Amino acid sequence: MEGRNVAAMRKILLGLAIVLSTSTAALAVDRWVHIKVEDGGANGEIVRVNVPLALAEKVLPAINTKELRGGKVKCNNAKIEEVDVRAILEAVRTAPDNEFVTVESKRNHVRVAKSAGHLLVKVQEWKGADKDNPDAKGKQETVDVSIPFPVIEALLSGEKDELDVLAAVRALGTIGDTVLVTVNDKDSKVRIWVDSRNTTE
Amino acid sequence: MPTGPAAVAGGAGTLALAAVMVGGAFVYDMGAVHISVQSKKPGGEHIRLIVPAVAAPIAMQFAPKRELQKAVEEAGPYLPAIKIALEELAKCPDGPLVQVTSPREKVNIAKVGDALVIDVDDEGETVHVSVPLKAAGIVISQLESIPPPDREEHAKHSPPAEGGPAM
Repeated sequence: MEGRNVAAMRKILLGLAIVLSTSTAALAVDRWVHIKVEDGGANGEIVRVNVPLALAEKVLPAINTKELRGGKVKCNNAKIEEVDVRAILEAVRTAPDNEFVTVESKRNHVRVAKSAGHLLVKVQEWKGADKDNPDAKGKQETVDVSIPFPVIEALLSGEKDELDVLAAVRALGTIGDTVLVTVNDKDSKVRIWVDSRNTTE
Repeated sequence: MPTGPAAVAGGAGTLALAAVMVGGAFVYDMGAVHISVQSKKPGGEHIRLIVPAVAAPIAMQFAPKRELQKAVEEAGPYLPAIKIALEELAKCPDGPLVQVTSPREKVNIAKVGDALVIDVDDEGETVHVSVPLKAAGIVISQLESIPPPDREEHAKHSPPAEGGPAM
């Protein structure tokens, strides 16, 4: 009786292992990061880049330059050492959804918030604004960044003075479709997102 | 069992045929590099080149060594990454990788089958290049094996290692 149970358990575990390994492999192969840059200036150029995450994951460790080594970027910037970025992000991650930073001035609005497991940074800037005339706000430029917390955690999982880009790419492969960065200004639009399609829309 | 000169000739013929078939299979497996350049000027030229990809690594043997070393020096740190990217691309589904569209030109780099296809359409000409990924990988491996000029010079002028074979 006991032997039959062990055999059944073994079969279930084997089946589970097969399902998990195939689904993980499919996930890694099917995820794509897309970059679209639209230049609204005189050139009117549109650039679209589609990169399979699996490819980025394999290629990153093979690049060994001064800044990027083994999929990690060294940040010799003193600001990172002085501020414990990990501690701040951990505090934000464990806190309930909320708006943490709001800066409002005549020329720009900055908002840092946490919502649905994402760190959101929204910057609105009015270029050419006239500070003496609040109505003349000029042309608006917006930057929206939305990074899932698992990706941020992976990015900061290395040493204190480095960013683990490879771990972040791996983490990107495990999350659902998401828009990471959107920039809109008078001359250009930039969009970076991750999904399962191998083409941009 | 037949013996004599006729049998020897027959055996050699079979061997030669087998060698040709194996060689042909290798050439076929490597694919071909397609290059097409079509000028848009009235009466402009249309150059079409189809070269067996197997010829690319061979052609590298005849390329100026200095130029190859220069290329390796510049692209050196990225060659392993390019090699891996080519291997990984082979596993990816077909699709566009880079597209640049402007009023003056269109550039499209895509993976189509086992090849990397580059299309450029600008005001002056239309260019189409198709390179088999496998052949590109072999070229990159060959580039990796080229020693940089300083290492080569050092090897030329350094004395033979102690304990080496006596000359």
